[in-house]
Amino acid sequence: MFRTSDIVLIAVMVSAAAFTYKIKQDAEDRLATVHKIEREIRFEEDTLDLLKADWSLLTQPSRLQKLSEIYQTELALQPIEPHQIVGLEELPSKPVVIEDLSNQHLGGMAESGGPDQTVTGAVVQ
Amino acid sequence: MAIFRKRAAPAESPGNSIVVDGARKATGGRAKNRVVMTMAVFFGIYATIGGRLVYLGMLDPEESGGPASRVTASRPDIVDRNGEVLATDIKTASLFAEPRRIVDADEVIEKLSTVLPDIEVEQTYHKLKSGAGFVWLKRQLTPRQQNDIMQLGLPGIGFRTEKRRFYPGGETASHILGLTNIDNKGIAGIEKYIDDQGLADLQASGLAIAKDLKPFKLSMDIRVQHIVHDEIKQAMERYHAIAAGAVVLSVKTGEVLAMASVPDYDPNNPYNAHEKDRLNRMSAGLYEMGSTFKSFTTAMALDSGKVTLESTFDASRPIRIGSQTINDFHGKGRVLTVPEVFIYSSNIGSAKEADVVGIEGHREFLHRLGILDRMNTELPEVARPTEPKVWKKVHSITVAFGHGVSTTPLQTAVGCAALMNGGYLMEPTFLMRSEEEAMATAKKVIADRTSADMRYLYALNAEKGSGKNARVPGYRVGGKTGTAEKVVNGRYSSSVRFNAFVASFPMDDPQYIVLSIIDEPKPEKPGMGATAGSNAAPIVANIIRRAGALLGVKPEFGHESGATVVSYQ
Repeated sequence: MFRTSDIVLIAVMVSAAAFTYKIKQDAEDRLATVHKIEREIRFEEDTLDLLKADWSLLTQPSRLQKLSEIYQTELALQPIEPHQIVGLEELPSKPVVIEDLSNQHLGGMAESGGPDQTVTGAVVQ
Repeated sequence: MAIFRKRAAPAESPGNSIVVDGARKATGGRAKNRVVMTMAVFFGIYATIGGRLVYLGMLDPEESGGPASRVTASRPDIVDRNGEVLATDIKTASLFAEPRRIVDADEVIEKLSTVLPDIEVEQTYHKLKSGAGFVWLKRQLTPRQQNDIMQLGLPGIGFRTEKRRFYPGGETASHILGLTNIDNKGIAGIEKYIDDQGLADLQASGLAIAKDLKPFKLSMDIRVQHIVHDEIKQAMERYHAIAAGAVVLSVKTGEVLAMASVPDYDPNNPYNAHEKDRLNRMSAGLYEMGSTFKSFTTAMALDSGKVTLESTFDASRPIRIGSQTINDFHGKGRVLTVPEVFIYSSNIGSAKEADVVGIEGHREFLHRLGILDRMNTELPEVARPTEPKVWKKVHSITVAFGHGVSTTPLQTAVGCAALMNGGYLMEPTFLMRSEEEAMATAKKVIADRTSADMRYLYALNAEKGSGKNARVPGYRVGGKTGTAEKVVNGRYSSSVRFNAFVASFPMDDPQYIVLSIIDEPKPEKPGMGATAGSNAAPIVANIIRRAGALLGVKPEFGHESGATVVSYQ
């Protein structure tokens, strides 16, 4: 009949086979996932290219010009005139306004009314 | 087998053969044969099934989807100086069918026509019934159409992706960008230049992978390019001309910021790109540039040292040479100073200026400025200027006011840039170039003093002379008109003209040259003029007004300054 060592060996063999099978199955699953992700990346890249082209199409100066002409009544956009462009140093300086501070309450000791309530050692009683 | 033998073994022992024999008889006696036969049959069946499975497993799945997709090589994107996309590759899907796999052709056509209304029913039906392995149904679908067709879930049809060059700007920059053919190879313009720089070899060796190709950056600014294109298109209609063109060139670096020529073509659908009428007139068209050449004549006279701004020339009488008479268009009939010769555009005065330098000197000067040599730049479409084989006195006289030699408008602009920037001739480029790089290869062609005088003359001409219509408040434009008569049936015609205007701005420190041309303009309204001052100059003015700020030139009003619009409320 079967000896113990045979049983052990068979068990080892079966478990080894099962382990190999599982690893192989896992690897295939992973590979499938990788392929799927790669496909998605390719699709995203193609979409990016397409969107970039689309963006460039939508922001063409000729198209924007046409749109601004069509919606002239609502947007009221005008070409910029040379005299509308000025540098920082050409801006008129902001007029200086001197605020009248003389009537403001300043707060502090002058208005707190009388000496402090707390008596400290430094004050001669 | 072991079990079988164990049972058989006692039967053969002689001791109890009778009993066993009886038992064998009792079970029919032929049981062994039957078991063997049954086993053989089952074994045969399972062996066949197993063998078939192995055979099918080894067999490659049947080829589906027709021929492999055509390898269309990738090209780098082309972007402008600010990184805006000018040309890019997009993937498009093409629809094919495998008629052998199609179950119901009528259903397929019916469903497809919901997505593709323009599909030809009869033709498609014949295609689907042909029994061929592979047929194209429709090339280059939009992504939406592709998605819709996929949603239909039809068996026997599929998609192949193909690469296609796409130009978002359409015709805006068609002459600079050029074209590619069906295999995505550059055949014109910058596209061809990119191929010649080694892309073609990369593609041939299969190394041109989309990801590794860096965008190809041009010196062009798409905003300025649009303005130029828009203005010349309007001008061509307004002046009923057969063609128009303009170029914006950086004086300091030789970069071409914008260049356009109409009529042109749409590079996305270039069915008419090879018509002779649609060539790039700015670099591949040869013209007698007319009075704009007086810039070179005057600069030459000043640079020779024999003439100063105070010199005078007698322009009171026409010049007769052989059978020809040289006369002035706006004749003053008196002695003119050099600035007057320039601003009144006197043919007689210019001829006399050239006479001071001499025939050989004149020819040498124009070659020095590169006006009469083939221009060296990235665009493949460049014409070779023409000049008389042997220069005689009459040639020198006519060339002085721009007749008798033909050159390209772009070259004229490059020559004028050298007059403005202190005398440094720079080859025009369509790629980005810094000022230092430009100066490293620049050639000094005229003295600083001459360049300063020319700047003065340009500014003066816009203020008092023929260039008044090119003035733009704030941008200090200076320039020179050119109205050339075209040759009709071997004679110069006074009614058919080729007009040009070359301008520079801002005149206190020129940054850009703007040159416009207009071929055979008619008066805008009857009674109005059709000289360069009334059509070519306004084109330049409009371009500068719209593009000045984009080009980074700050408007300054100086003494003419009024109040600025900015104020505190």
